[in-house]
Amino acid sequence: MTSGVLLFAYNNEQIDYVAQACFLAKRIKQYMNLPTTLVTDDKQRVLKYYNGAEIFDNIIASTLEQKNKKTYHDGSLSKKVLDFKNFNRSDAYDLTPYDKTMVMDTDYIVSNDILSKVFESSNKLMMYSRSLDISGWRDELEFSYISETSIKFYWATCVYFTKDLENKAFFDFIKHIKANYQHYRNLYQITSTVFRNDYAFSIAAHVMGHVKELPGKMIYSTHKDVLQKINNGNITILVEKQDRVGEYTLLKSKDINLHVMNKFSLNRKVTNA
Amino acid sequence: MDDKLQKALEFGNYSTTLENQKRMLHEKFVTDTIYFHAGGQFTINKELLNYVHMLTETGQETTVLVDDNNIPVEVEVNDFYANIADKFFTASNEYHTAYKKLQKSRSVDGLVE
Repeated sequence: MTSGVLLFAYNNEQIDYVAQACFLAKRIKQYMNLPTTLVTDDKQRVLKYYNGAEIFDNIIASTLEQKNKKTYHDGSLSKKVLDFKNFNRSDAYDLTPYDKTMVMDTDYIVSNDILSKVFESSNKLMMYSRSLDISGWRDELEFSYISETSIKFYWATCVYFTKDLENKAFFDFIKHIKANYQHYRNLYQITSTVFRNDYAFSIAAHVMGHVKELPGKMIYSTHKDVLQKINNGNITILVEKQDRVGEYTLLKSKDINLHVMNKFSLNRKVTNA
Repeated sequence: MDDKLQKALEFGNYSTTLENQKRMLHEKFVTDTIYFHAGGQFTINKELLNYVHMLTETGQETTVLVDDNNIPVEVEVNDFYANIADKFFTASNEYHTAYKKLQKSRSVDGLVE
C-alpha cells in the first residue's frame, strides 16, 4: 500500500502557490516522512525554476477550465481581488498515485507528525470539522456551519482518503455538486456566490455520512493576521486586535500545525526560506 | 501620553499575549495527548487512564476499547497502559514547564521569545 500527500498549486497574478507547495513538501518530508505529489498547470516551470524534481515524488500536469475571483487580504488594512483557481480538488481521487492520500492546501504549515498517524488508521475518509481560531475572540460560526441555518462545516484544507468504491462515490458526488453548484447553494442556504471546496466537501460529508474526524483541530489564522516568522516548529504571527483595525498582538506557536490564510505574508516567508 | 494610560495599554497588550500563549500551550498539550494504537485513535485523559489502570489491577490481559471515532480496538492491557501513562505524563510535564516559564515572563517579548 502506497502513502503520500497530494498538493494542488496554481499560481495567480500575485500569489506563488508553487513556492508554498515546495516549502510544505519539505516540511512534510521532515515531520511526516511522506512523499508529496504536486498537481499544477505549469509542470515545466516547476521543474525549471523550483527544482521540482528533487522536491516532489511526482508532478502531475492538470489544466483548469474555470477560475473564480476572490478577495485576498494582507492584514486588516490591505486587500486585492485576484484569480482563485480551486476547481479541481474534486479530481484528487483520480489524480493521486497513492493508495492512501492526504490532500493538503499549500497554506497549511506542518510542524508535527500527528497527521502521519492517520495512515495507520482503519478509517477510510477523514477531515476536520473541529477548529480553533488563534485570535481567541473572532466569531467562529463561519467555520462551524456552512451557513447560519445549514449543516456542519468541514475543512477541505486537509482530507485523508483511501482508494475504494465509497470514496470514489464521495469524490464523484463532489464533482456533481460543483457542476450544479447553484442548486446546492440554494438547497443548503449558502450565501457566498464563490464556489468553495469547503462547502462542496461539507455537503458531500453530510449526505454520505462516512467521514471521521482527523486528530486534533484545524488551528487557523485568518487573512487579517500577518505571518512574521517560521523557525522550524516555531511560528510567530501578528494577530489582529479586537475592535482596533490595523493593530496586532504577537503570538507564537510551537510544534502545532497551522493553517495560514494570509497568502501574501506566507509567500514572503516561504520565498525567503 | 499619560504614564498611567501608557502602563494600562502595555498591561493590556501583555495580558492579551499571555492569554494567547496559554491557549497555544493548551492546544499543544491536547495534541500531545492523542495516542494511536492498532489503527485506533485515543485521546488520553484521566478517565481512560483510570479505566485501563483498573483493568491492569484486576488482571485483565486484553480488552476492547472504543476509540475517538467509535471504532472498537482490541488492546493488550499492560502495554497499552504503560504507553498512555508515559505519553500523558510526558505531555503534562512539558505543559507544566512551559506554563511556568510563561508565568515568569513579565513582558510581551518574554512571552513570545
